Amino acid sequence: MFNLYLLFVIILISLLFYFFGVNNAKKLKLQNNKLHSLKHYYGFFALLYSLLPSLGVYFILTIGDDILFSNMIKIYIPTDIINSKDFNFTIALAQINNSVDGLIFGTPPAWVINAANIWKSWVIKSHIITSILCIVTSLISGYLGYSKINHNFRSRNAVEKIVISLLAISSIIAILTTVGIIFSVAFESIRFFALIPIDEFLFGTVWNPQFEGAERAGSGQEGLSQYGSLPLFAGTFLISFIALCVSVPIGLYSAVYLSEYASKKERAFFKPLLEILAGVPTVVYGFFAALTVAPFLRNSGSLIGLDIASESAMAAGLVMGVMIIPFISSLSDDVINAVPQSLRDAGYGLGSTKSETILQIVIPAALPGVVASIILAVSRAIGETMIVVMAAGLAANLTGNPLEAVTTVTAQIITILVGDQEFESAKTLSAFALALTLIIITLGLNFFALHVVKKYREQYE
Amino acid sequence: MNLKNDELTKSINTVGDVFVKDARIKARNVNVFYAEKKAIDEVTIDIGNKEVISFIGPSGCGKSTFLRCFNRMNDTIDICRVEGSITLDEENIYDKNVDVVPLRARIGMVFQKPNPFPKSIFDNVAYGPRIHGLADNKSHLENIVEMSLKRAGLWNEVNDRLISPGTGLSGGQQQRLCIARAIAVSPEVILMDEPCSALDPIATAKIEELIHELGNDYSIVIVTHSMQQAARVSKRTAYFHLGKLIEVGKTKDIFTRPQHNQTEAYISGKIG
Repeated sequence: MFNLYLLFVIILISLLFYFFGVNNAKKLKLQNNKLHSLKHYYGFFALLYSLLPSLGVYFILTIGDDILFSNMIKIYIPTDIINSKDFNFTIALAQINNSVDGLIFGTPPAWVINAANIWKSWVIKSHIITSILCIVTSLISGYLGYSKINHNFRSRNAVEKIVISLLAISSIIAILTTVGIIFSVAFESIRFFALIPIDEFLFGTVWNPQFEGAERAGSGQEGLSQYGSLPLFAGTFLISFIALCVSVPIGLYSAVYLSEYASKKERAFFKPLLEILAGVPTVVYGFFAALTVAPFLRNSGSLIGLDIASESAMAAGLVMGVMIIPFISSLSDDVINAVPQSLRDAGYGLGSTKSETILQIVIPAALPGVVASIILAVSRAIGETMIVVMAAGLAANLTGNPLEAVTTVTAQIITILVGDQEFESAKTLSAFALALTLIIITLGLNFFALHVVKKYREQYE
Repeated sequence: MNLKNDELTKSINTVGDVFVKDARIKARNVNVFYAEKKAIDEVTIDIGNKEVISFIGPSGCGKSTFLRCFNRMNDTIDICRVEGSITLDEENIYDKNVDVVPLRARIGMVFQKPNPFPKSIFDNVAYGPRIHGLADNKSHLENIVEMSLKRAGLWNEVNDRLISPGTGLSGGQQQRLCIARAIAVSPEVILMDEPCSALDPIATAKIEELIHELGNDYSIVIVTHSMQQAARVSKRTAYFHLGKLIEVGKTKDIFTRPQHNQTEAYISGKIG
């Protein structure tokens, strides 16, 4: 609650500065009859000048005080406890924090209660200091901004500069998050590759992490567990391929129908219906695949003497294909619609039929967007997890036969990380190596797609 | 003029000679509706063989709509309905049995904004011959493309870069490419819908010169906003106002001594 109140006060102060700024601008206008920017820009300038520094101070203090406290609390832990063999500072800190928050299990040791009380008193002090600092900052910086206002001051340009830097910061946060994800996965992968050779991981044909992998490094018990990721990637690509075989033709054809042949009424009716497919949770697709499609495939297979596994790549791929239809149809439909009518007119004017115009003029003109939609669908297919877990099985078969059970990279990552796992084991770490490889592959695909799109753009526009 | 034309003349309000001796296209009492709105009202006119005729008139007078009736481009607009008859060499183009594909090959069209396909220069010109199967083999096709580009006055500017995209040309070159594309299918009539309105004066001059030359071999109907252009390129001029064909006559006569007062008002800049 304290945080909310403080934020509220800071915002209130900056709003006050907004009105001061506007008022000052009004006065200046009356005196001078000439003002560089519109009045509200002066208000915004004062508001931003007051708000942003105090928000900065607020975040630094609220994040910083926990770090400071956990360092300061060390001296309140008795030395005999620190020196004992199974002491772990993180656990001690957690005990203290739980006590602070009122989560008490049994009777905590006296030093914990003591430390918690000290911590509580620090928190109150920190609240007071934070409030004072934030409010003072907002007042001082707000006044600084306010005092800059005179009739020559270009507040519109200044406000725009501040807003531009806010936009830049937002995009940097997004980029840093991606980089952070890649690094966190990469570091765990490096630990994995210290246990398992990278060539065995990349080119091994057997995936069997069930036996504890860590022991094999020293004990010479080789062959107990195996980390060849080829079957997983083969399964991923097999299922994605089946999915694309379903979704690319259906998606493209329905996009062409919707944008070129359907009347306005039909389009208004069908397009939202198709997009509902994208809104169905994948876990629902998963049980549809496992409970409806897979048994249907097996039964119809047995009618003609085919032996189809009850969990098969085919079932998962078919349903996944249905799932990604709207990605292709909806995006392609938009792109095809964006092809200028003048190009169609040119085609009709030369005597092409409708289908000739679509095939030879509209689709080639829309190709970059169509390719982009397909690549988006591929990324979705490769990253899809739930359908595969439920319908394709977990058997890591290296096979090209869509009627057998296979497994995918994402499905394996799930099974490895679900449940209690020892974090140092090769089995757990292998999930990160898989994730890293998957990221590299999808990044490569995206890069390739962008390249293709760019190439066609240059040629066609 | 035959008897039928004489009968019709009584029922039309157009001033001047709507009929010509060697007519290729004969439009008789044509009405065009957009949904319930009447855009063209009882228009009757002949387009002669190898004649260049301009349609002029203020914006929204229906001259482009009427032009698009000749190759049935209005078919692509759902709410558009055409009444009356238009014949090309005595064959009604709105007959149920007429296939628009060969019709549009006989009546080519050039649009207001240059609209080359996002293909190479060669493929742009070769598109029509390919879909109509006009070329027997590759060298024949190349020949057609070369001839068309030459006739459009573009060959010397592009013969070294036929494989580069047509969209990379300048606006005037693009429009001449579109003209080359239209004449590649050897049409008999070429419809031009304000072909120079998106071009600069120099490019316009080139296109006008081209229209002048093409007039020796094709019937050309050109819709234009510019009275000067009409005066420069055409032998005959038709003035449209609010969907009605007000006056038709020799270009010289229309601009020097218009008979209808509305035509005169437009020519002298009072309306438009």
